[in-house]
Amino acid sequence: MQRVITVSLNGNAYQLEDDAYPALAAYLEESMRALAANPDKDEIMADLEQAIADKCARYLNPHKTVLARAEIAQVIAEMGPVADEASDLAARAARSSESRTAGGPTGAGAATPEPAPRRLYQISEGAIVSGVCNGIAAYFKVDVTLVRVIFVALLFLTGGAALLGYLVLMFVVPYASTSEEHAEARGLPFNARALVERAKQKYSEFRSSPDWRRSRAEWRQEWRRARAEWRLEWRRARAEWRAHRRAYRGSAPFPPPPVGPAPAPVPYAAHVVAGTLLAVLGLVLALFTIGWLLALASLVMTGAVFGWPLPHDVPVWVAIVALLVLYNLVAWPIKAARRAAYYPRSGYHAPWVAAWDSVVGLAILAALLSYAYGHVPEVHDFFDHLRHVWDHSFDSRHLDSASRLL
Amino acid sequence: MDIDQKFSPIRKGLLEFLVLKIISGTTVYVADILKRLSGTEFATQEGTLYPLLSRLRREGLVDYEWQESEAGPPRKYYRLTAAGQSQLAELDEYWARINKTIVALGI
Repeated sequence: MQRVITVSLNGNAYQLEDDAYPALAAYLEESMRALAANPDKDEIMADLEQAIADKCARYLNPHKTVLARAEIAQVIAEMGPVADEASDLAARAARSSESRTAGGPTGAGAATPEPAPRRLYQISEGAIVSGVCNGIAAYFKVDVTLVRVIFVALLFLTGGAALLGYLVLMFVVPYASTSEEHAEARGLPFNARALVERAKQKYSEFRSSPDWRRSRAEWRQEWRRARAEWRLEWRRARAEWRAHRRAYRGSAPFPPPPVGPAPAPVPYAAHVVAGTLLAVLGLVLALFTIGWLLALASLVMTGAVFGWPLPHDVPVWVAIVALLVLYNLVAWPIKAARRAAYYPRSGYHAPWVAAWDSVVGLAILAALLSYAYGHVPEVHDFFDHLRHVWDHSFDSRHLDSASRLL
Repeated sequence: MDIDQKFSPIRKGLLEFLVLKIISGTTVYVADILKRLSGTEFATQEGTLYPLLSRLRREGLVDYEWQESEAGPPRKYYRLTAAGQSQLAELDEYWARINKTIVALGI
C-alpha cells in the first residue's frame, strides 16, 4: 500500500504513488532550470507538462487510476532531458570565460548547487535494533560498523550509561521513511541528476570491488527483497485486521486511515517534539508507577501508606481500590498524551514504536528499581522486608490454607 | 569515440533543418514530428523538440494553431510561415551544395 499524491499537469489532475513523485518533481524542476533564460519558458513548460500527461494517460484506464514509479521513470526517459539552446550557449560562454579568467563572474544558471540539508534520522533498513547507529553513520558518512563498535566501546566505558543515550535518541530522532528524508539523512542533494550520479558511483564502486564484496552485496539485495515481501505481507495482514476491527467497532480506528490526498508530511521539528514528549512522559509515568507500587506495597504490608495510617473505619480493600482509582486518574491523561505523540512518528512504524515503548518502559522501570535498591537504604530495607514478609506468609498461613483446601 | 558520437554535433545542428522539412508538407503536431524522426539517426525527444519549436516560432519560421482532437485536450498544429518556406529553400540548397562537395572530394 502506498500513499497517493495528486499533481496537476497543465491543468489536469493525475495521481502518482508516493515514491513516483520525487522523480517527476525533480524532472520538472530541472527543466525549469534549463529554461530559466528562455523567454517562452512558461509556454514550453506547459507543453512539456501536457506531453507528460499524454504519456501518463496511456498507463491509465478506469481500473487503474494511479501511476507507479516505474511508469513515471519510463515517461521521463521518453521525454528526455530538456536542452535549451539559448542557455546552452550562455553556459558554454560562461564556462569558456571562466576557464580564461579563473575566478571570473559565475555563469548564469551554472552556479554550484547549494549544500543539501543534512539531518539526523533513524534508518531502519539494515538496522540491528532501531536504526540509531545506522542514522549516525549516514549523517557522518562513515561505515555503520565503526559506529557500532564505538557504541559498544562506550557502553563498557560508561558502565551502561550509553544505553540510556541510545534510548533517548531512539525516541527523539525521527525515522527516515520517504525518499527525501533518506536523502536528507545522508546529506545528499535530492534531484534526478544527483540520483543518477549516485547510481553511477555505486555502480563503479561495485565494479571495482573484489568478489567477496560483490557476493555480499548480492546477498544483501536478496535479503532486502525478501524483507520487503514480508513487510508487504505484514501490512496486508494489518490492514485486514484493521478493517475487521473497524467493522466491529463501527468507528474510525486510531490513527485515521489516509483517504484521498496524502496528509501533509510532518516536519522534522514535530517529529523531534513528539519523540521527546514520548520519552519524557514515559519517564514520568515510570516514576509515578514506581511510587504507586511502593505505596501499594506499604499499604498491604503495614496497613498505612508511607506511615500515614488509614482512618479507623476504612478497610484496607477500600484503600486499595482508592489507590487504583488514583493511579488511573493520573496515568490516563499521560498515556493518552503519549498515544497522541506516536502519530507524528512515521506512519507504519507506529506499531513498532508502541511495542518498543513498552519494552523500554519496563527496562527503565527495572533499571530505576535496581538503582534504588543499590543506592537508597530505605528501598533496600523495604525490599528485604518484603522478602521476609513474603516468606513468612507462605510458611505460616498460605500453605496451611492451601493444604486445607486440597 | 564511435561514429555516432563524432557526428552528434552535426546531427544536432541538422535537427532544425529536418524539423522544418517535416513541417513543410502539412500541418503537424509534435507527436507526428517525433514519429517521423523515430527510427532514423535523428530520433529525438520532447525535451529537445519543444524548446526548438519555441525558438523557431520566435524567429517567425513556424506558427501554430490550436485544433481540437478527437481524444484529449486541443493540440498545437504547426505549419511553416512564408519566412519559414524561404528559409527551408535556402537550407535545402545549402545542404545539396555540401553533399556535392562531399561527393566531389571522393573516397
